[in-house]
Amino acid sequence: MGRSPGDLLIFVLKRLLQLIPVLIGVIVLTFICTHLKLSGLCNAVYPHASKAVIDACNAKYGAPLLPQFVSYITNLLQGNWGASTLGQAVYPAIAADLPATIELVLAALFLMIVIGIPLGVIAAQYGGRWADHLVRIFYLSGWATPTYLGAVLAAVFIGPALGLPTRGEYSTVVPPFPQYTHMSVVDAIIAGNFPYTVDAIEHLILPASVLAFINMGIATRMTRASMLEVLPLDFVRSARMKGLSEFWVMYKHALRNALITTTTVLGVTAGGLLAGTVVIEEVFDWPGIGQYAYDAIGGGGSVANFDGAIAVVIVFAIGVVVANMIADILYGVLDPRVDWR
Amino acid sequence: MTDPVLIVNDLSVTYTVGAGTFYAVSDVSLEIEPGRVIGIVGETGCGKSTLAKAIPRLLPEPPATIGSGSIVFRGTDLVKVGRRQLPMIRGTGIGMIFQEPLNSLNPAFRVYDQLLEAIQIRHYREMGWVKSFQGGERPFDYSKPPDTTTVAGSLSKIIVPSGAAEEAVRDRLATRSQFREEVLSYLRLVRINDPETILNLYPHELSGGMRQRIMIAMALSEKPSLLIADEPTSALDVTIQAQVLTLMKELIDEVQAAILFISHDLGVIAETADEIGVMYAGRIVEYGPVAEVFRDPRHPYTKALLKAAPAHYKSDGPLSSIPGSVPNLSRPPSGCRFHPRCALARDVCKGDTPPLAPVDPAAPPESRHIHRSACYFQSEVPGLP
Ligand SMILES: Nc1ncnc2c1ncn2[C@@H]1O[C@H](COP(=O)(O)OP(=O)(O)OP(=O)(O)O)[C@@H](O)[C@H]1O
Ligand code: SF4
Ligand SMILES: [Mg+2]
Repeated sequence: MGRSPGDLLIFVLKRLLQLIPVLIGVIVLTFICTHLKLSGLCNAVYPHASKAVIDACNAKYGAPLLPQFVSYITNLLQGNWGASTLGQAVYPAIAADLPATIELVLAALFLMIVIGIPLGVIAAQYGGRWADHLVRIFYLSGWATPTYLGAVLAAVFIGPALGLPTRGEYSTVVPPFPQYTHMSVVDAIIAGNFPYTVDAIEHLILPASVLAFINMGIATRMTRASMLEVLPLDFVRSARMKGLSEFWVMYKHALRNALITTTTVLGVTAGGLLAGTVVIEEVFDWPGIGQYAYDAIGGGGSVANFDGAIAVVIVFAIGVVVANMIADILYGVLDPRVDWR
Repeated sequence: MTDPVLIVNDLSVTYTVGAGTFYAVSDVSLEIEPGRVIGIVGETGCGKSTLAKAIPRLLPEPPATIGSGSIVFRGTDLVKVGRRQLPMIRGTGIGMIFQEPLNSLNPAFRVYDQLLEAIQIRHYREMGWVKSFQGGERPFDYSKPPDTTTVAGSLSKIIVPSGAAEEAVRDRLATRSQFREEVLSYLRLVRINDPETILNLYPHELSGGMRQRIMIAMALSEKPSLLIADEPTSALDVTIQAQVLTLMKELIDEVQAAILFISHDLGVIAETADEIGVMYAGRIVEYGPVAEVFRDPRHPYTKALLKAAPAHYKSDGPLSSIPGSVPNLSRPPSGCRFHPRCALARDVCKGDTPPLAPVDPAAPPESRHIHRSACYFQSEVPGLP
């Protein structure tokens, strides 16, 4: 049985290696889907552009796919991810925006874990009784809420009612410290600026809560289902027989086993959340990659940015793949029956 | 004799499921004093595990319902205890070894952590760091079984290797290494050869026999005043069974707790128990001192069991030679539940349920420890072939 720290390193490295072919596949697929020769593509993408822009576009996307792909990949690997129509390079923009989105997703995930998982435990513990039904109503209403509606309601009513900010990352547009990570709370902490840390957290609360509320059902339902599988098992009875209170039986012995499945599902979900923030970022003016994507496809009357849109799709796809890998690794760590070698 | 640790009075347990109501335990009464071992035998499905789990209120309610009766443990009727109080009488109060050793350990934690947890529970209770059970005649003193003179002394002396260690654990905050020592001592108590290695393993890395030894160590480490062993060996391989049984027999002598030992193996009961209760279809049909019951069975069912069991009573399926089939507990036969299979059965047997009456008519009928049989014609049983 290989479960020493060295074995864990091998386990993680293996997963990372497995990531490479998947990433190549993802990039190839995305490339093909976005570079299919469609008639009038450039006219559609740049409806009001000058003839020069359209011609340049046609020249770029009209060429045979293979040479295009080779040059695209070469550029991609060199950090040249293309540029918007207005000439703004894609890579630096994404590098600055992605962390903000990751921060938002992690915050939402945090809320889903600290609220959604205990709710799932309660639902399983009181299966079929009123507590179970209340929890179900809660997460189903989250699920049934259209993102846009939820975000707008939170921004218009809940935020002001609670005195929470509803726009941006900080109260000032540019904070008085360098943004190394482009994650608002982390940067404020690095700068050691306490008021700004509080300010950043306050700004994060609403968008993260909306994102968490809408996706809460995944954590709660998964926890409830796996708890219901674990609770009839013999070791739960042994834990009770030891004299442990129901709290420890539930949250230590049963949940520890139920979490193995829940973690996997949450990991997979996290990848999806990355792409699910577009609307929320737009409503809360969160400077993340979702907003960049929204602008790139010409949302809000901005000038379309085809290279940017492709880059965003690739980033989202990578996000899903990486989240899956993390879930996979967590599964191996949480379940002592998984051999790391 | 000292005060009983446990008095079960006319206990009835039913399961209500879609298919109907199962009368799994009906009107069972028992009394166990410290240091005594009561054996319960009966074929599969007769309600042994239901009885065992009903005592620490471990049955899932629903589907199980304790219909009537009382379970008085150290002066407290457990039937009336609220759910939140129940954990406080488990472990240090009532310990249990289960029939299913393979899945009784938590697969996510190392052996060490699971044993440590049990020892810590007891330790915190002894130190009074956690709320103790209220609602009995007097507050629960976890450090001592009810009869302090005979039992507490022998318990602490034997289980914890030296008296000095015991004092240290009691008097000051036990350190990690002391807990570790104690965990190791319990692993050695259940004759595990290489406890240092076993400590760091997960349950799936252990054999069934090993897991059951650890379950036994876990139950003992809480120093229960009542220990319930529900067929601790029946799920194991035959060779392992013998080893674990030998261990159980040795431990019964060492641990002076009151013990309820459940088995379908008459031989095991003959060797371990002081008194035996024979269960049939949810009822105790014969009860008495082991030697007496074995020498002079007074219930046709017991007689058939003994006759079916080969030499020294060891058998896997002792009932194959009793004609008829085990009754369905959702529709138990009227009157004496054994009547469809009984050679002595007469019309009266289908009427009222025969009481568990003393075999010796001169004996005081209220005593729980004398030889009794629930058969209208118990005097005719010795004449059966
Ligand atoms: N959870 C349950 N729901 C419904 N009926 C049950 C349940 N558990 C047990 N029973 C019924 O109660 C009766 C007694 O079961 P129990 O497990 O106590 O028998 P047992 O004597 O321990 O048998 P074995 O020797 O096989 O362990 C059986 O007839 C069984 O069908
Ligand atoms: S009471 Fe009747 S049926 Fe029951 S065991 Fe005695 S003789 Fe047989
Ligand atoms: Mg059983």
